[in-house]
Amino acid sequence: MHTGASKYIGLLYVTPALAFVLVFTAYPLGQMVWMSLHNWSLIAPKKYVGAGNFIKAWNDPQFWTSLEFTLKYTALITPILMISGYLIALLTAENRPLRQITRSIVFAPVVIGLGASSLLWYWLFSYDFGLINRVLIDVGVIAKPIVWFGADADRSMWAVVVSIVWKVLGFGTILFVAAIHAVPGEIGEAAMVDGASYWQRVRLITLPLTAKTILLVTLVSVIGSLLAFDQFYIMTAGQPRNLTSTSVFLIYLNSFPYRKLGYGAALSLILAGVILVCTVLQMLTSRRSHA
Amino acid sequence: MSLQIKICCRSALAGLIALVALPAIAEDLQMWERSGGNASMVDALVAAWNAKNPDRTIKLTYIPHTEMVPKIAQAIATGDVPDLMGMDLIYGPQFEAAGQLVDITDKIKDWPELKTASPGHVAVSTYDGKLYGVPLYADVSALFYNKDLFRKAGLDPEKPPTSLAEIRGYADKITALGGDVKGYFLPGNCAGCNIFTVGPLMWASGATIEPKDANEEPLSGDGVKEVLQWARDMIKAGNVHEDARAETGETFHLRFGSGKIGMMGTGNFNITLAKEQNPSMDFGIALLPGVKGGEVSSFAGGDIVTIPNGSKRVDDAVDFMKFLLSDETQVEVYAKMLNMTTRGDMAENKYFQAEPKVQDVAKAIAVAKTPYTLKFFELINSPQGPWLQMLQRAYYEDTDLDTIISDTKAQMKAIAAE
Repeated sequence: MHTGASKYIGLLYVTPALAFVLVFTAYPLGQMVWMSLHNWSLIAPKKYVGAGNFIKAWNDPQFWTSLEFTLKYTALITPILMISGYLIALLTAENRPLRQITRSIVFAPVVIGLGASSLLWYWLFSYDFGLINRVLIDVGVIAKPIVWFGADADRSMWAVVVSIVWKVLGFGTILFVAAIHAVPGEIGEAAMVDGASYWQRVRLITLPLTAKTILLVTLVSVIGSLLAFDQFYIMTAGQPRNLTSTSVFLIYLNSFPYRKLGYGAALSLILAGVILVCTVLQMLTSRRSHA
Repeated sequence: MSLQIKICCRSALAGLIALVALPAIAEDLQMWERSGGNASMVDALVAAWNAKNPDRTIKLTYIPHTEMVPKIAQAIATGDVPDLMGMDLIYGPQFEAAGQLVDITDKIKDWPELKTASPGHVAVSTYDGKLYGVPLYADVSALFYNKDLFRKAGLDPEKPPTSLAEIRGYADKITALGGDVKGYFLPGNCAGCNIFTVGPLMWASGATIEPKDANEEPLSGDGVKEVLQWARDMIKAGNVHEDARAETGETFHLRFGSGKIGMMGTGNFNITLAKEQNPSMDFGIALLPGVKGGEVSSFAGGDIVTIPNGSKRVDDAVDFMKFLLSDETQVEVYAKMLNMTTRGDMAENKYFQAEPKVQDVAKAIAVAKTPYTLKFFELINSPQGPWLQMLQRAYYEDTDLDTIISDTKAQMKAIAAE
């Protein structure tokens, strides 16, 4: 039986964590909900509009364009990151010097800031000075330079996808390598004795036993892609015609340059809801497949 | 008390007073200005003021151009404002309307210098009959043309085009020279560059662009469609470099100086820049024309300087404004650097007389317009706004121009109505 004092001691133990969550999560979230119910430009007084900002989002074609683009970008980049990351992990999982060096090279871009890497790729894709146009012309793939950003939405998106794959591929690879290392060696050896081929062992042993890591990396990748901002802000700025404007870019645009803080907050809450739904769906799907 | 103790006490007291008073005396006026504007001009103005006023020097801080409005808004919201704010003149009305700037009407209304100050700057510094700022510097747009390429194409370098049709004809001939030379330049991904250089083509063709308020019709007049059709045809005819499509404004000011463009709408700032970039290039300046010959226009841009509410040094800030408009500053700082003077009556000066190109571009002031709207950024200047979207669709797509204009009108009206 707990005494009154021991109850308070328990509460005391969780107080720092509780205070942290209250100050840095609950309060800003409450503030955001409150802001989303107002029109506020910082330089003029706030005006209560109720659900007006949410209705406005529903009727805003750019909101749907941005959401669709964000989902498209996520749907494209996630399988690329997962499959490439897993394949590289399989190829480099063994702890031999050359493979360890390969892993390090693949992982190296992860430590570079996203802003810096985006700027780097922005210049690599530059029409006039970019190395990519130069190389493509030199090897005869194209006859004249390509305008990578600002001309065609799909071309811009693929250029961004290339830069992000280079930047974050190593993150998933390292986690996959760790998960593959955690698979008991005896299981694979027993399967080999039974005559299982390499791909059979991968499909029937390694993949199922690393499924939790795959789920984790997928979740991180999906959430990261749904929140994509820096790369598009630096490389495309939403161009052409806002067709590469992600949801977060739209939030930024409304909250800061346009100073529609209430609308920006409403868009943020909607995006948070979308991410929550995606995450729950992924977790439910994963549980069902385990059952 | 002995004399020594008295002296000691007095010395200590004097020292204490000096310590307390010193920071107040030495405290700088804080001034914010956008980066990406005419920084060399503003640096020179502040340096000239500081040299004359060592007891109340100005500390200048540049804010990235795209962050300027939110940064000012945040400063106003937190009360941590500078004493002087230089801002793109087009943003003046929205801060004035929000009551965030100090009304300086009574302090400056009788200044004789104000009578000849740039009308566009004064207009956007005025709200509801009250004055909130003065011009900091002025930029005007004009048509720059490369006389060397004119000669090579068999055109008369002393006869610049006077209508859009003539620009088209001249551009065709210059583009026909081949190589990397093109007849004209249209920035495909820069809203600001386009209002600065394509906007005047529409104004000169009798059109209006932005709505002043929710009741006004945007993009009115046939000139809008005519200019868009002209631009679309110019691009389809290959008269514009392909990479112009990606021009975000970062390299806009360097384009004309490359020597590979026959004609281009740009600003007075390009006189010095083009000379530095390409000293041997012979070029001329004319006014941006409209559809009909003889109709011309220009965009009067630049910055105004204002005082935000909460400034503790209003009188010093007003003195700086007076200094900016003084005869000596107009001639020995603005004109000496071959920048536009912000007072029309100061355009006749020894420095401009020695440089005919500045005199040519100064002619634009008389026909220049400055948009007056409370939502200029959203409507026009934003890379994500309806203005640039309209131009991109007109330049690079085959969609019917009436549809494009109609869509843009709807977007602009919705923004104006918010």
